[in-house]
Amino acid sequence: MFYLITFTLIYLAITVYFSWLGYRRTVTVSDYLLAGRQVHPVTMGLSYGATYISTSAIIGFGGVSALYGFGLTWLSFLNIMVGVFIAFVIFGKRTRKMGKALDAHTFPELLGRRYESRFVQGFSGLMILIFMPVYTAAVLIGISRFIEVYLSIPFSTAFLAFLLITSCFVIWGGLKGVLYTSAFQGVIMVVSMIAIGITSYYSLGGISEAHRSLDAVTPCIPQFLKEAGHRGFTSMPETFSSIWWYVITTMIMGVGIGVIGQPQLNIRFMTLKSDREINRSVPFTAIFILCTTGIAYAVGALTNTFFYSTYTELPIHAVQGNVDKIIPLYIDRFYPQWFVALFLVALMSAAMSAGSSQFHALGTSLSRDIFEQALLKGKSVAETTIVTRVGIVFSIFATLIIGLVLPESIVAVATAFFFSLCGATFIPVYLFGLYWRRGTKPAAKASILSGFFTSLIWMLLFHQQEAEAFGLCRKLFNTETLAGHPWNMIDAQVIALPIGLIVFVVVSLATRPVHEETVKKAFVHI
Amino acid sequence: MMLGFLDPWVLAGFVLTILSAIFCILYGIRNWNRGGTEKEGDYREEIQWEREEIELIEKLP
Repeated sequence: MFYLITFTLIYLAITVYFSWLGYRRTVTVSDYLLAGRQVHPVTMGLSYGATYISTSAIIGFGGVSALYGFGLTWLSFLNIMVGVFIAFVIFGKRTRKMGKALDAHTFPELLGRRYESRFVQGFSGLMILIFMPVYTAAVLIGISRFIEVYLSIPFSTAFLAFLLITSCFVIWGGLKGVLYTSAFQGVIMVVSMIAIGITSYYSLGGISEAHRSLDAVTPCIPQFLKEAGHRGFTSMPETFSSIWWYVITTMIMGVGIGVIGQPQLNIRFMTLKSDREINRSVPFTAIFILCTTGIAYAVGALTNTFFYSTYTELPIHAVQGNVDKIIPLYIDRFYPQWFVALFLVALMSAAMSAGSSQFHALGTSLSRDIFEQALLKGKSVAETTIVTRVGIVFSIFATLIIGLVLPESIVAVATAFFFSLCGATFIPVYLFGLYWRRGTKPAAKASILSGFFTSLIWMLLFHQQEAEAFGLCRKLFNTETLAGHPWNMIDAQVIALPIGLIVFVVVSLATRPVHEETVKKAFVHI
Repeated sequence: MMLGFLDPWVLAGFVLTILSAIFCILYGIRNWNRGGTEKEGDYREEIQWEREEIELIEKLP
């Protein structure tokens, strides 16, 4: 407890100092403007990474890796290749230029202005407002599970306490200086994850030895997992088995590709001065992702050796099936108490940096996208600030309720749900908006609606995991899911994203293009 | 058995993760000074855009 209080106080003091520093620097607007936005690439890389990688990646996906093994390294590959390189170079550069040309301040606003459609902006804002709290809840559940294990207090108490802390940070701290604080939070995350990676591999005798040690554990894999396609922690699941479809389409592709449609990340590109800043941020963000997710997934799988050699049981048994507790329990059992406290502070920073930008994205979705554009037809009024606050308070309450209602082993599942929904809904309009001048307003509407509703229908009636959880299919058709193997295991994004892309192209070719002036304006810097 | 992995697909994922990070580092080094100037060099528009962006951020609670 002594370590925890000491580290937390030091952490909070430094966070407050950086917030103040950021605040002081943004007060003198004209100086700031003349100097240009000299955001150091390391700051941008760490800040983007800390928003992208939260507790859900470390706790949730680390736990999933403990269950399914090293197959998840494909997700860290996509995290870097798609989440950094493609997101920055293919999408980021044009997003920045188009955002500036169209004077867009939120992601839905960029789409709305590109297609001259208030509906696109309003609907996108509404979708974010309704579904992002599921992801925010997942992020906060991740840290709360750790507090539950470390302090031995009930999960609901830990969740409520942490939500309260994050809310205070968001409401009073605001976005001012968020770049500095999230970069600082990023440093803590990288340092503690590298420490965990090195110590875990070192104590197992090096990289090859550590991986080889997992073979000894393979016979202990529960029978039901073996029957579903589990072939060991250093092998991919059996091709086309239930686990294979689940790991590949939901865990790897859902998050790996869905990241492109994440509104709280895309908005970051619009704050950069030139393409040079994007180029320079790429290596730092990639190193950050490698050190956080790469290590989290590897250590997640290695926990099997640690638990088996010490307690002769697999971590999944030690946590009574709740995968979200595997990483917290591993750190708690195998590391000195001072390090556990330090890691908790690292997770706190991960949750706070991701949580605060999510709450702000939610607040601005309600005020700028739904209230100003969809309801007031584009009029800007003084009440917008109040509406932003209402949006933030609403999303805090929504997160609270969702967090307490969600079942166990949910962090990675809820994260994949939101990423995949955003991917299917936004990627077609976003991609074509940046690269195809011929894209039309009706096509944007049709693509967003078809991507969104195909995902939703697939989740409620076909994809086993969500269909069972929601129970709508059972009520309507008296069966758990309308699809048999393998369709019941295939993630919604794999079905809905191609549909959204096809609908966009077909409708665009059949309808009138967006006004030429708008297209010219959008592409002026490109 | 390379790097202790039985399955070549897992080995491929592991190696590609590290290679992709190296690729990103090389990309950053190669393009370190590129992209500093805009196609349309009108800084008034940029200043106006940044001013509005900052005002928007300051309006937030």
